[in-house]
Amino acid sequence: MNLMSPSLNGSASAGAESRPAGRLLEVRGVWKAYTGDQYVVRDVTFTLRPGEFLTLLGPSGSGKTTTLMMVAGFEMPDRGEIRVDGKDVAWQPPERRNFGIVFQGYALFPQMSVLENVAFPLRMRRLPPSARRRKSLEMLEKVGLAEFRDRRPRELSGGQQQRVALARALVFEPDALLLDEPLGALDRKLREALQLEIKEIQRRIGISILYVTHDQDEAMMMSDNIAVMNEGRIVQIGSPRDVYLHPRIPFVAGFLGETNLLRCTDCGSDGSYARVRFQNGVMGRAQAPREGRRRRSPHDALVSIRPERIRFLTTGETPENVIDGVVIDCTFLGHHARYVVRALGQKLVVSSTDPHLAQHLRIGDAVRLGWACDEAQILAEDEDDGGERGR
Amino acid sequence: MARFKRRRYSRPSAPVSSARRPFRLPGNPLLLLACLPVLIYLLLPTLIIVPMALTKGQLIQFPPIWISVHSFADYFDDRQWIDSTIISLKVAALAVCIACVAGSAAAIGLHGKQFPGKAVVIGIILTPMVIPFVVLGLGDYLFFVHMPFIGRWVEIGLAHSVLVTPYVFITVQAALSGLNPLLVRSARSLGAGNASVLYHVYWPAIRPGIVAGAIFAFAVSFDEVVIALFLQSPNATTLPVRMFTSIEYELTPKIAAAASLLLCFATLALLAQAFLTHRKLSQRRLPKAVQSLP
Repeated sequence: MNLMSPSLNGSASAGAESRPAGRLLEVRGVWKAYTGDQYVVRDVTFTLRPGEFLTLLGPSGSGKTTTLMMVAGFEMPDRGEIRVDGKDVAWQPPERRNFGIVFQGYALFPQMSVLENVAFPLRMRRLPPSARRRKSLEMLEKVGLAEFRDRRPRELSGGQQQRVALARALVFEPDALLLDEPLGALDRKLREALQLEIKEIQRRIGISILYVTHDQDEAMMMSDNIAVMNEGRIVQIGSPRDVYLHPRIPFVAGFLGETNLLRCTDCGSDGSYARVRFQNGVMGRAQAPREGRRRRSPHDALVSIRPERIRFLTTGETPENVIDGVVIDCTFLGHHARYVVRALGQKLVVSSTDPHLAQHLRIGDAVRLGWACDEAQILAEDEDDGGERGR
Repeated sequence: MARFKRRRYSRPSAPVSSARRPFRLPGNPLLLLACLPVLIYLLLPTLIIVPMALTKGQLIQFPPIWISVHSFADYFDDRQWIDSTIISLKVAALAVCIACVAGSAAAIGLHGKQFPGKAVVIGIILTPMVIPFVVLGLGDYLFFVHMPFIGRWVEIGLAHSVLVTPYVFITVQAALSGLNPLLVRSARSLGAGNASVLYHVYWPAIRPGIVAGAIFAFAVSFDEVVIALFLQSPNATTLPVRMFTSIEYELTPKIAAAASLLLCFATLALLAQAFLTHRKLSQRRLPKAVQSLP
């Protein structure tokens, strides 16, 4: 890997993309139970390619941190394989694996200076002191903290501490970087700044990152790919765009952002789309589920459509899906407005940035709503929580 | 920056503000008046020893006949008393060494782990603090009777180590409660094996706890009399045992002299501990001052 090449050195090359660093990490069919057969991780499988930013996203208790800890080596999987470049490492202790880990709160050694902290992994790898110092300084240079090398961690701000933690986790050229909710305890402003910073450092160094968070905005903003976890399983894996626009099951649709779930009947495929009949008999088209089985009964299908994808139609417009409704609530939220419309016998949430609408639409107005057929997604059945419709 | 070298792990939220306030009698004068007799009652039997050691007479008595230091000279001239003092020091040193290793190991082993029965394990470690000394002493006596090959002062030291291990355990556990458990994981993920984790993570964190626990443990072992009485032999008589036995038939002011020296010693130990704590607190205040520099 190309971590130490001079061309990457310093901030002059900021923004320059390096070639991907890290190694291929494969997690295959991993199971983990702490007590008896209460599995907290069930059959988890994913691949982290060199240079990729993959986020494990899920509510608390979904098994994402346990999965990360198994990759790191702090937990032993009951079943399954964890491979680095094809070699199974599932039985190696953490100190024999080669992952850089950043924990929540950063866990810097308080009695050591910044430089000593960053040099620590090199010291553990028995590098001679001169090489340790040189490499650590280079890495501190890269994260822009070289002048703070003699400070103690407690004399640094939260953001600076994070950069030290990143430098310490990167200096030994790890196979991948594992981050366990590193920003979980911080306030929103700082968190957003640090998200950008992590992303920027990753871009500069090219390291692959496995990131754990319960914050969907964070996941959407930073990741190349998101693995959504629920009840120990990865329920969907894909790019942020894919996962958001084409949720596979109701849980994903509900967990990532707001959505409208419409009951309908699945009337079979029509080209690359599926024909659906909504409850009042209106016909429409939507994207068929990409993977996973369809609902057992076609009469019990669900279509997910995002609030910002539904448009208020003006006369003459006829997209593939059109329904009539009545506005029952309007809320102005600054950069957009949120409307609740009663249609198809349920409440639909519609959000719009159109200032004209915000001025003229009133509660009680009759409206026509419409959306393109590739904006609506038929959902597959939840594997375990059959009855539960998302959150 | 060199003065930061010895900074320790500690809770960042420890109270630090009281040290610079000018000295002021706390609270209400009436309350102080009520407390004074209690304080005098607590201290008087201890302090009365000192004038008794300064008597001119050959018997321990009150009031003393002022004023002479001959009892101290007698004490230092008496081979038996000096031997006993050395035995006591050796016993306490052995007990403290064992307690530091065992108590710290137990505290580290239990740190950050949750398992059923943890409370029972901690209870067992702490039992020697609540079991009557007589019971311990008798048990130790019956136990060591079968091991005649162990030196007699070593027996007392081993018996005391059981007694004082809880003191070290408690202080080390308290020191560890301020240690971020993620530091251990962090160190391991960076390539540190068990020995390195012990040296780089646990050792800096427990050092103040070990020092405090060792001072306690030393004081407890040095003046423990019941167990030492059970295990004594002519060439393994600790100082407190010699004081105890000699008061029955000798009544020499050497006893008071030895007691005064013990008192002096204990006071010094307490002051040392207070000094260490104070220095730690004032070090903790430094970073802010450093940050406010241009």
